[in-house]
Amino acid sequence: MKHNDVVNSIAKDIAENCQGAYDAYCQSTCPMHTDAIGYVNLIGEGKGEEALLKIREKLFLPGTLGRICAHPCESECKRNTEYKQPISIAMLKRYATDKFDDPKLWDLTKKTSTGKKVAIIGAGPAGAQASIELAREGHKVTIFEKLNVVGGMMHVGIPEYRLPRNIINHEYTYLEKLGVEIKLGVEIGKDIKFNELTDGYDAVIVANGAHKGNKIPTKGDDATGITTAAEYLREIALTHNSEIAGKSVLVIGGGDVAMDCARSSFRVGASTVNLVSLEKEKDLPASHHEQVGAKEEDVIFNCGYGTTEIISEDGKVTGVKLVECERIFDDSGNFNPSYTEKTLEISCDTIVFATGQIVEDATEGIVKQGRGGRYEKNNDTMETSVKNVFVAGDVAGSNTVIEAMALGRKAGLSVDRYLKGESLIEGRDFVKEGSFKTKLDLPLPEGHKDELRLEGEMLDGKIRKVTFKECDAGLTDDNALKEAQRCFKCECKKCLPECIMLTEYSEYPGDLFAKFLETGNFDPLVAYSCNMCNQCTLVCPEEFDFAKFFGAIRKDMVKANSGNSPLKGHNAINIHQKLGFSKLFTTKNKGGK
Amino acid sequence: MSRKGFMPGCSLPSYSPIGIEKTVKYLKSHYPELSGIQKCCGKPTKALGQVDKFEERFGSLLADIKACEVDEMIVACQSCMNVLKDSEEFKTTSLWALMPKLGLPKEVIGKAKNSDVVFSIHDSCSVRGMSDIHDGIRWILNELGYKTMEPEKTRETTRCCGFGGMIVPVNQELAEKVMKRRVSDFPTEHVVTYCAACRQSITLGDGKAWHILDLIWGDVVMKGSEPPEDTLSSPVKAWVNRYKSKGAIKKAING
Ligand SMILES: Cc1cc2nc3c(=O)[nH]c(=O)nc-3n(C[C@H](O)[C@H](O)[C@H](O)COP(=O)(O)OP(=O)(O)OC[C@H]3O[C@@H](n4cnc5c(N)ncnc54)[C@H](O)[C@@H]3O)c2cc1C
Ligand code: SF4
Ligand code: SF4
Ligand code: SF4
Repeated sequence: MKHNDVVNSIAKDIAENCQGAYDAYCQSTCPMHTDAIGYVNLIGEGKGEEALLKIREKLFLPGTLGRICAHPCESECKRNTEYKQPISIAMLKRYATDKFDDPKLWDLTKKTSTGKKVAIIGAGPAGAQASIELAREGHKVTIFEKLNVVGGMMHVGIPEYRLPRNIINHEYTYLEKLGVEIKLGVEIGKDIKFNELTDGYDAVIVANGAHKGNKIPTKGDDATGITTAAEYLREIALTHNSEIAGKSVLVIGGGDVAMDCARSSFRVGASTVNLVSLEKEKDLPASHHEQVGAKEEDVIFNCGYGTTEIISEDGKVTGVKLVECERIFDDSGNFNPSYTEKTLEISCDTIVFATGQIVEDATEGIVKQGRGGRYEKNNDTMETSVKNVFVAGDVAGSNTVIEAMALGRKAGLSVDRYLKGESLIEGRDFVKEGSFKTKLDLPLPEGHKDELRLEGEMLDGKIRKVTFKECDAGLTDDNALKEAQRCFKCECKKCLPECIMLTEYSEYPGDLFAKFLETGNFDPLVAYSCNMCNQCTLVCPEEFDFAKFFGAIRKDMVKANSGNSPLKGHNAINIHQKLGFSKLFTTKNKGGK
Repeated sequence: MSRKGFMPGCSLPSYSPIGIEKTVKYLKSHYPELSGIQKCCGKPTKALGQVDKFEERFGSLLADIKACEVDEMIVACQSCMNVLKDSEEFKTTSLWALMPKLGLPKEVIGKAKNSDVVFSIHDSCSVRGMSDIHDGIRWILNELGYKTMEPEKTRETTRCCGFGGMIVPVNQELAEKVMKRRVSDFPTEHVVTYCAACRQSITLGDGKAWHILDLIWGDVVMKGSEPPEDTLSSPVKAWVNRYKSKGAIKKAING
């Protein structure tokens, strides 16, 4: 059917510019695309259990992530970009989990067994997520883990006062319930050779994380009393103690790991803790929350200094010499610090380098490594140049738990395709497999206000600094409700609650009209189901005129059907109209004289 | 003085010949030279997309108006309002916006001040932009003495009753959903409309609805009162009424 210009131009406008398909800022930013907008609002409506189920659609460890997720979603949250008061998206996740989680609610559905076997190295978040994707597809998965605990860096890096271990352990029982086998205390490369895995299994995913501490070569660094964050925190995590820590600990580094080292030091007996960073305080990479936490626990910040020398007596550390750093990067943006004349000396008996972690090879040189020991791989699919070997997590470039999980899922999806003999690429939208920028562009809701962010209740700094007990008590019921209700609900589909017709006949209008442009066909029943009420236009940010479109396309349909509506039901109207204009029922009376 | 004409539209005369008769008499008491026309404006034909037929049918109405030498048409139907309002030959005025200017007959003012009913007001979605009509309806209800409440979606944000767009004959199931949804918007059980088709929709959506003419010219509505019969859902009754209304107009105008 040929269509008139009004039909064509409105359809094109809606197909191209409808915002209905665009994700909320929070959701598109989350590497796992957790439906944050969805669960936040369910909490706001008092539907905690539904919120929990929504979270669990994407995340198997919501209680863990609710506590320690780096929450990139909150940086992009509209309440942050507008007012610097992001919704406590992560903390609300913890709230829903602490209050409503129950293993009875866990979705354990999986496909029938394929008979294929997959080995995964490492029980960190990347390996775990990959195992879930594969187990659900019916493959038999075995995870080999060097440590005697699950969770990887979450268990031996992230301090216990931020993440109680019973939570990780409990949430990892999901894997067992799904039939994933976890072999603890087995180190690949030592207890089992890597090629035994590649030979014995249909595919292997290497997800061994970055567990080797990185020491920056410094004059005097051969003294005793020096360690790295990875070693320091691992020992503290497993024993609540540190053999090396003295009374006065100095941490070098300005990120979250440095904060963890500094704050953990009090808990293993230090009385003075200094932090030295190259970055000035305002540029510290550590999250604001962690900086505040460290200060409340009396960590002394020495920001904007480079370490020139470690001083020692009888081979034992006694302090450091520092020089003020003017700039870290040169004009072309390269790391190339420049210093002033100003120096400073701080005494200490222990030094912790919190300056990055490196990947140790678990493949005996079989998979090639690049910078920081990270494996070389295809960024879209996680496949390596070695047959049936894939990588995931920090060994593949992630830096946070949620990114590691997204890479784990990616590797899992690839391996599933590989095992089924399918293309690793076809039909995949790689952009949407990780964090991406949404095209959503909505005005702020009418009548909104700037409102303060609500957070969890923190134990007092003086009390918490000497205990491994969790220091954040989370949100109260009242605060969770209030916090969730601050959400701006950043998604469009504003027309759908107004229009039952559009809801019944489309996901969102953009897709209905894109299909029309593609096929040239429009279902007359849909065209004649518009009430022409303009309710959609009233709320649509693009002010699309649906009624006008339907009015216009009806004209085409009538034209193509020799002057009549294509729908039989309308015969009644024809008769009605004939009578309405007939002599029998009409009258005109001029009146007057 | 400019010559006035009145036309009730289609659904209203099919619903209430008595209401039409009393309204014509009321208008004639203010405008002794009043003309009266009963004919469809052709909106259903237009909504179906039958361009040529609409031009023809609407043209026949325009001819009637012209024959009556009317300068200002008073309409009681919101669709008529929209179809006629752009005509350059004459002015179009809504009865509901006009009544506050003319005033209600003494005998109806305050008649419902003892009613225990609180009416929810349903505005027609086709006149969302016409606040003088919204104001007029509220003025009338207040003059009569009825207590009223506004649903959340009201006046310029009012919702469709489910009747519009000629969807009922082809997608009744959907229309019913829209009707029920609108009924669920109302804060009270009793609803007042100023469109006979809206009244029918609300009735079909399981609501209790009255047309504002029922309230002006009929008995005072109390909590126990039953809403008027849904004559529009019975073709026979509707056409009989339409025929009666035609007679009523003729009689009231000419004799
Ligand atoms: C101190 C610290 C604090 C952090 N805090 C946060 C935070 O608050 N929020 C956040 O999102 N991220 C945080 N991170 C980062 C986060 O922990 C990691 O990005 C994430 O754990 C990486 O997951 P993964 O599965 O790739 O590796 P990992 O979690 O490191 O897991 C890898 C696993 O593989 C095992 N393994 C290693 N080699 C072998 C082998 N040869 N054979 C068998 N098993 C082996 C390891 O024992 C480990 O269990 C932090 C990191 C550190 C170091
Ligand atoms: S305001 Fe709500 S929907 Fe919008 S980005 Fe923040 S959490 Fe997501
Ligand atoms: S309101 Fe509906 S039609 Fe308008 S942009 Fe949003 S989703 Fe698209
Ligand atoms: S005008 Fe049509 S498309 Fe828009 S809300 Fe009304 S029925 Fe739906």
